[in-house]
Amino acid sequence: MSTSASPAEPSASPPEPSTSGNSSQKEGAGEEARDDRNFECNICLDTAKNAVVSMCGHLFCWPCLHQWLETASARQVCPVCKAAISREKVVPLYGRGSSDQQDPRENSAPRPSGQRTEPDGSLFNGFGLGDNSFHLSFGIGAFPFGFFTSTFNLGETRPSPAAMGTPQHLEEQFLSKIFLWLAIIFIAWLLLA
Amino acid sequence: MANIATQRIKREFKEVIKSEEVAKCAIRVQLVDDNYTELKGEIAGPPDTPYEGGNFVLEIKVPETYPFNPPKVRFITKIWHPNISSVTGAICLDILKDQWAAAMTLRTVLLSLQALLSSAEPDDPQDAVVAKQYKDKLDMFEKTARHWTHVYAGGPCYNQEFADKIKRLEDMGVEENQARVALSSYNWDLERATEQLFSS
Ligand SMILES: [Zn+2]
Ligand SMILES: [Zn+2]
Repeated sequence: MSTSASPAEPSASPPEPSTSGNSSQKEGAGEEARDDRNFECNICLDTAKNAVVSMCGHLFCWPCLHQWLETASARQVCPVCKAAISREKVVPLYGRGSSDQQDPRENSAPRPSGQRTEPDGSLFNGFGLGDNSFHLSFGIGAFPFGFFTSTFNLGETRPSPAAMGTPQHLEEQFLSKIFLWLAIIFIAWLLLA
Repeated sequence: MANIATQRIKREFKEVIKSEEVAKCAIRVQLVDDNYTELKGEIAGPPDTPYEGGNFVLEIKVPETYPFNPPKVRFITKIWHPNISSVTGAICLDILKDQWAAAMTLRTVLLSLQALLSSAEPDDPQDAVVAKQYKDKLDMFEKTARHWTHVYAGGPCYNQEFADKIKRLEDMGVEENQARVALSSYNWDLERATEQLFSS
């Protein structure tokens, strides 16, 4: 398809007639429209409200995606590329500004919250020999507690600050295991001594 | 409540209208009522198929739950195709059923239907008679489909032999479309078609 309206016009770069137009005003408007479209929800085709992004990178309003997941409950796929999708694996987008102005429709299903992971290195810094006794006593106390809380959290579906599967929760479990091993070593050392 | 289906169709309308397929006269969508619940689609028969040169009209009904559920589409123009009923125009296409996805649009539906005209799937038929002919006598299928395209969709290929046979049946008092279906179903065997028409 040939879009160049004036073939007789001298053009600086003939191979790209669409980007080297002579009417710059029209160009600008087109660019703007294209920019807007980048942030359109793939379901309602409007600018995404309470935006979420799937793991495959597709943008939706959370209410739109939620309704899709409810409608096609047997087949949880991305509406665009049909990759596997689930409400746990969408990432909310928090832009500057309007994120707190909630549309009343959103009350039905809260948007999944973002997940924070602490930067590496801060947790195991003071792990030298000298600190052992402190860590051990804490470990013995903390292990059963951590075990029970994680067990009882299993059946709970209500989103809470450190819900199942969050990095925080996983870290807790990891620490519990470390403390268990340290406790065993400690007991063995007591018996041997 | 401002219906999401209506909003979506309005937006899509702009998309389809400005898309370049329209410039090539390949697909088109028109409003039928003011509620955006019923639309008329048109697709051009793809080149190098028996449907080439034909223009096929579709009935598109938009459910209230659109785009979470697919639009209901059927051919209004009669067509001879394994995945489309030669009687009702009902379509067997996965994206109009369980493979629908909410990001699909009227544009993608029309383009998919156009693709279906290019590549039939006789193993998943809507019209068993057509599918059988497609598998057993491809040559006969293509001639028949081309004839239907000429008669119903404005295609270019006139077939004198088929026209004569239909005329013979019409002279016996059979309605034209009925005669065409019977002859098409029996590979244009006049005797068997007559037998079938008068035995029932
Ligand atoms: Zn949306
Ligand atoms: Zn995707």
